[in-house]
Amino acid sequence: MAMGLVLGLAALAAIGQTDSTSRSLVNGAAVEYMFPEQVTVAAGKPSDVALHFRIAKGLHINSHTPKDEFLIPTTFSIPDGLGVHLDKVSYPDGKEFTLPADPTSKLSVYTDEFVIQAKIVAEAGNHLVEAKLHFQACDKNICLPPKTIAVAIDVIGK
Amino acid sequence: MRRNTLVLSAVLFIFATFAWAGWANFEYRKQATERLLASAAKGELVVDAATGAPEYVSPLKGKPAPAFALEDLSGKKVSLDSYKGKAVLVNFWATWCAPCKIETPWLVELRDQYAAQGFEILGVSTEGDGVGMDDKAAWDKDKAAIAHSAQQMHMQYPVLIDGDSIANQYGGLDELPMSFFVDRNGTVVAVQMGLTSKADIEGDIKKALGN
Repeated sequence: MAMGLVLGLAALAAIGQTDSTSRSLVNGAAVEYMFPEQVTVAAGKPSDVALHFRIAKGLHINSHTPKDEFLIPTTFSIPDGLGVHLDKVSYPDGKEFTLPADPTSKLSVYTDEFVIQAKIVAEAGNHLVEAKLHFQACDKNICLPPKTIAVAIDVIGK
Repeated sequence: MRRNTLVLSAVLFIFATFAWAGWANFEYRKQATERLLASAAKGELVVDAATGAPEYVSPLKGKPAPAFALEDLSGKKVSLDSYKGKAVLVNFWATWCAPCKIETPWLVELRDQYAAQGFEILGVSTEGDGVGMDDKAAWDKDKAAIAHSAQQMHMQYPVLIDGDSIANQYGGLDELPMSFFVDRNGTVVAVQMGLTSKADIEGDIKKALGN
C-alpha cells in the first residue's frame, strides 16, 4: 500500500507536469475532428463513414484538389495494421476563394465545417483506429506550416 | 534474515524510484528551459491603441539579427555575416504559401529598385514539413520544388534552403511569410509578419538603408 503510494507520487512528480511554454499567434487547433467517435460496421464488408471536421474561424485549408501544383492538398489516411482498411475516400469539392490582395488568385479551399466520406473495411472485433488528416491552413494574409492531426475512431466490426 | 533482505530491497527500490523521479524532473525542467529560451524570440500580435489594428511586435527588433549560414540552391553556403555593410531583407517563405506568391513579385521589383543603394534580399525557404537531409529522396524533392518555384517567380536574389533549421532563432516562424529588415550594421530595424503591402515593405527597406 505504502509502496504503491510512493511509486504513484514519484511517477506524478516525473511525468504529471503540463507544458505551458509553447505559444502561437493562432490560438488553438486550425482543424478539429468532431465526430463520429465510434462506428459499428459489418465485419469484412465495405462500409461508409462520414467524418466531420471543423476549421478555426478565419482560416481555410486547401481542398483535396488545390488549383496550384505547389499547394498542399488535404488528405485522409488510415495506417496499415490497425484491423481497419481504407478502401476509398471521397472528398468534398472545394469552395473558390480569392485572396483580397490579389483579385486574380483563385484557390480551392475548405472553410468552417467539412465532411469526408470514407469507405472502410473492418475485421471482426473492436479497433481503436488513429487515422490521420494532413492539411495546410492559411488566412487571407498568413499561412501556417503543414500539419497532420490524429482522427481517433473506435471501429467495431460485427 | 529473509525479512531483513526484503526490507532492504524495498528501501533500495524506493530510493531508486526517487532517484529516477528526480532525474526525470531535472530533464523535464532542462527541456522546458530550452523551449522557453527558444520561444523567447517569438513575436506577438498587439492591438494598436490608435488604429485598433493588430500589429506584429517582434522582440528581435533593435537587436542584432541572429547569424546563420545556409545553402543556396547550388549548394553554396551563404551567411548573413557576409552581407555586413548592406541592408538585407531576410524573407522567410515556402512553396505552399499562397500569400508569399503575392509578395514575391513586389520583392523582386523592390530589389531591382534599391540594389544600387546596397540592398539585398535573402529568400529563405521554410517548408516546415519536417524533412531533413537524412531523408535524401524527400530532401531532393523539396529542393526541386523550391528551385521550380523560385524560377517561376523570377527570384533573382539568393534563395536559401532549410530555413527550418534557424526557425527558433527567428521566433519559431509559425506563420509565413515573415520578413526581417536588417540594417548595414546587422541590426533588425523592422519585422513584418504575413502579407502586408508593397508600400509597407518599401518603407521598411528605406529604414534598413538608413534613408
